[in-house]
Amino acid sequence: MIYLIAALKGLVLILLLLFAFAYLTWGMRRGLARFQIRLGPNRVGPLGLLQPIADAVKAIFKEDISVAKADVFVYWLAPVISFTFALAAFAVIPLGPEGSLFGLDPWVADLDVGILYIFAVAELAVYGIFLSGWASGSKYSLMGGMRSAAGLVGYELALGVALLGPVLLVGSLSLRDIVDWQGTHGWLLVWQFPAFVIYFIAALAEMGRTPFDFVEAEQELVGGFSTEYNSMKFVAFYMAELLHWITASALIPTLFMGGWHAPFGLPEVPILWLFVKWLVFIFIVMWIWASWFRTRYDVMIRFAWGVLFPVALAWFLATAYWVASKGGAV
Amino acid sequence: MSAFDLIAGVLLVASALAAVTLRNAVHAGLALVGNFLVLAMVYFALEAQFLGWIQIIVYAGAVMVLFLFVIMLLFDAKADPGLDPLPWMRPVGAALAAVFFLVLAYAFSRLGPVNPLADVKLAGGLPGPVGELLYGRWLYAVLLIAVLLFAATVAAVVLVQPGVRGARKKPQVAERERELEEVGR
Repeated sequence: MIYLIAALKGLVLILLLLFAFAYLTWGMRRGLARFQIRLGPNRVGPLGLLQPIADAVKAIFKEDISVAKADVFVYWLAPVISFTFALAAFAVIPLGPEGSLFGLDPWVADLDVGILYIFAVAELAVYGIFLSGWASGSKYSLMGGMRSAAGLVGYELALGVALLGPVLLVGSLSLRDIVDWQGTHGWLLVWQFPAFVIYFIAALAEMGRTPFDFVEAEQELVGGFSTEYNSMKFVAFYMAELLHWITASALIPTLFMGGWHAPFGLPEVPILWLFVKWLVFIFIVMWIWASWFRTRYDVMIRFAWGVLFPVALAWFLATAYWVASKGGAV
Repeated sequence: MSAFDLIAGVLLVASALAAVTLRNAVHAGLALVGNFLVLAMVYFALEAQFLGWIQIIVYAGAVMVLFLFVIMLLFDAKADPGLDPLPWMRPVGAALAAVFFLVLAYAFSRLGPVNPLADVKLAGGLPGPVGELLYGRWLYAVLLIAVLLFAATVAAVVLVQPGVRGARKKPQVAERERELEEVGR
């Protein structure tokens, strides 16, 4: 019975994520158009609201080709890996307190090592991009794949070390414990501001969003890793990319801004407040995307290793010293 | 032996065989990733959660990404079947493998019943209890391993450094000196 409920919750979560993805494509295109003083898709249905459905129909009916120089097995495997692991990461984010979802717990999995789970899934997701770059048999794709692998190693490290501070302070790797801790002690954003900044920057790189979208970089690499993909295989990559955005936008508030707890002493409503914070981060990322330039690839790798990583390490040591002088987690 | 043990064992051996027999180096690398993932599942089944996730993050994730990165960067990923730079390696390898197999078989024959980790006060192998043991009782072992790894890194950097002995010159300077020498002659 437990497994059945977990499976059902997983299914509902996947459907919700896919729905969010569909309307994020619409919201993103309309939003970006606003930033650039144009209209965006507004013809299919009222306000263009049926545009995602039209896009889906178009993508499904496109001919599914495989390029001649491709390594066929890996060429097909790559989008599957990318998409699967992008969907999986959301499972451990708690949306509310215990039993707040019609008597059920509003999360799919409650892992004691939730943060490790998210790291593992995020790293495996990169394989999709990386392998597609190699399997396409194209130089542009290979460059994109290489960039993603090199970027991953640098940014994943900064990401991980940045989270050590909050984890030390809370004394747990479980996302639920981290949210509960913030419920009593206040946002980790206040306690761990440098960690938040580093985490946010590294998360942007992890999502492959501007200013770190060097993996696709259409001006230099045509389309990077996805150059040789079309039809549903391309959509799988596109979905994966947006799902990373969706997941990170829920994860950052969960880790640093109290999760599902209401901000500023407002009444507690489970799920609603996380949704509001999620929308805020979706918008912030879009804002950065619309208004910032892309950093040069070598500059950003150097930034990851030369600035983010040492700063994260120094902050971790400072936190460790503070926690040790207090005699254990707060 | 449960169904899980059987499936995991078959998958482990099959992916390990694929990793050493596949001709395409990237495919072999992927087989190794699969092997690591199954190994992580085995750790989970033994209630060693932390070890399982670390296996995925460090080996299946970071280490294998670097491996594949280098494979993709350096060559066409196709092994050349006609070329065997170390022909004496095969019999030696086979002999060592046979010895290793015998040692393992002997060790297994002497093994008592296996304790699940939960019984050894590790509480499901969570990071807290594992960390207490690792940085408490085994602190010096961990430190020694850290020193060893660091030394290996430094050694690798030193080994690949070209011409550290002579004083370094910029290529332009070296070229100008050569020119001057020729003019002098």
